[in-house]
Amino acid sequence: MGLLYQSELDQIWSRLFVAAPFFAWLFISSCTKENVSDFQAQVPVYFPKPNYTKHVQDFTKGRFELGKQLFFDPLLSTDHSTSCASCHSQTHGFADHNVRFSSGIYGRKGVRNTPSIANMIWYPAFGWDGGVNHLEIFHLGPLTNELEMGTDMNGVLNRLNHNQNYRNLFKTHYGVEQISDYELFKVLTLYISQIQSFQSKYDQYRQGKVNFSLEEQKGYALFKSHCASCHSEPLFSNFSYQNNGLDSVFADSGRGKITKEITDYGKFRVPSLRNVSLTYPYMHDGRFWNLNEVLEHYSNGIVENSQNLSPDLKKGMNLSAAQKQQLIAFLNTLTDYKLLSDKRFY
Amino acid sequence: MKNIFSILSIVLVILFGATSCDKNKQKATGELEIAFEHVWGMDETAFSLNTDYVHPMNSEALNFSTFKYYVSNIILTKEDGTLWKDSNSYYLIDLSKPSSLNLALSHVPVGTYKSMTYTLGVDSLRNVSGAQTGALSTANGMFWNWNSGYIMLKAEGTSPASSSGSFAYHLGGFSGQYNIVTTKTVNFDTEKLMINNDHACEIHMKASPSYLLCNDAVANGANVMMPGARAKSLALDFYSSVVFEHLHN
Repeated sequence: MGLLYQSELDQIWSRLFVAAPFFAWLFISSCTKENVSDFQAQVPVYFPKPNYTKHVQDFTKGRFELGKQLFFDPLLSTDHSTSCASCHSQTHGFADHNVRFSSGIYGRKGVRNTPSIANMIWYPAFGWDGGVNHLEIFHLGPLTNELEMGTDMNGVLNRLNHNQNYRNLFKTHYGVEQISDYELFKVLTLYISQIQSFQSKYDQYRQGKVNFSLEEQKGYALFKSHCASCHSEPLFSNFSYQNNGLDSVFADSGRGKITKEITDYGKFRVPSLRNVSLTYPYMHDGRFWNLNEVLEHYSNGIVENSQNLSPDLKKGMNLSAAQKQQLIAFLNTLTDYKLLSDKRFY
Repeated sequence: MKNIFSILSIVLVILFGATSCDKNKQKATGELEIAFEHVWGMDETAFSLNTDYVHPMNSEALNFSTFKYYVSNIILTKEDGTLWKDSNSYYLIDLSKPSSLNLALSHVPVGTYKSMTYTLGVDSLRNVSGAQTGALSTANGMFWNWNSGYIMLKAEGTSPASSSGSFAYHLGGFSGQYNIVTTKTVNFDTEKLMINNDHACEIHMKASPSYLLCNDAVANGANVMMPGARAKSLALDFYSSVVFEHLHN
């Protein structure tokens, strides 16, 4: 028994010595692995820790390029008309092209305004009503919604598995012969995880690299006192659900649709204001076409008898015309021209 | 540096190899098949899809085109109290796919077991953890796209009791007061389950889709599409019909 064990051990040793260069290579190659920090700018220190970090760890340039190809591919929609990029445009801060409701398959119109998908790794939940609980699962919504891409997961996976190019790419980058929703969701998440907005003039100012104009400074002060309790820096949302007093009767029950709680009807997620000057029209239903209209609403347009109205908004803000201009000047500093022209995304 | 790490990796591989060898020597394993049979009504006739039935309680005429539900987290308990947990334990029972009615568990340690615990539904963690594989893939059409969570029981079909002619019950809910995830335990009384490495043991389970509507009716509403009070009572009524029948060692 002892002899046998010794010979087994010798065999293992001799095999391992043959394999030693391989292990050394494995170690060295893991050190030289593509590093995501070579690929993207450093997130500012005043940003919180993101909720999603795995897709940054799993990053390879090849996976990113595959995610990008899928993001732009209308193959993912029933009638081959609509891709993710159709409604999430880089030039518009990854919201739609300034339309109230987006067009999906067969020209169908959506029912809520398309939000930006920048900075989603910091989001706790997804969609205007927060109904989607995980960034990887977020893709299921637009892919299968009958007003958006209108497919079913079997259909879309079938198409991908019948496409030799995608089969090869998924084999190379995820090691799978058969593409499943698991890899599809992972790679789309890896791609959109890179869509990060933190290089606006506001960020330059926060880092002491530029100064604000007097008007921007005044706007920033007004913003802090009037807006920042919900549109909290640096993501410009505290991700709570609020009724901001648009209506007395709700055409869309919003958060209430998800929770069925009477206290949630008419509430929507506080949207981030990053790139806000590009993402008009505003509100969940895109009713306001410019920031002036929005500020006029908060100033004098709050419907006071609206059920579940946010307590902070009960008293209108009574902003002067000059104050509105100052606020708009500040909001314009949230436009991230580096992101809009970032070559990785086009 | 290179040498240190290659030696380190060799040591690690040996340690790993040695422990896995030990495992193979000591732990003999066997197979277990859990078979689900579906019946209808008081007389428990064999249930099948696309067949006309009359409900024994509410007398509604019903014809089911879809009946699917999740069974998960199977745990076996030995006589000495030690547990064995099925590692990838999510199964979608789909009455349109006969192969899905027999759950095949492998690598079960040889031994005598006194009970089996299983869950009807999908535990909360998997409802909130993003992309999943196998039975939990969204390609099975059992995940809500607008209000994240698994449809843990999906029953669809036709009935004249519905104004549209059809009914659809998509039942789920993994947290709070409308949580429908239900864990049940089967105690094997006189005949214990004796897993061996010679042949597969079988556990036979029985479930009755008629129980879905034993306290309800299509006439009360032909559609349930999200978690809530009615989803919970429908699901729990069906779950109450899932019982242990017998086993073959």
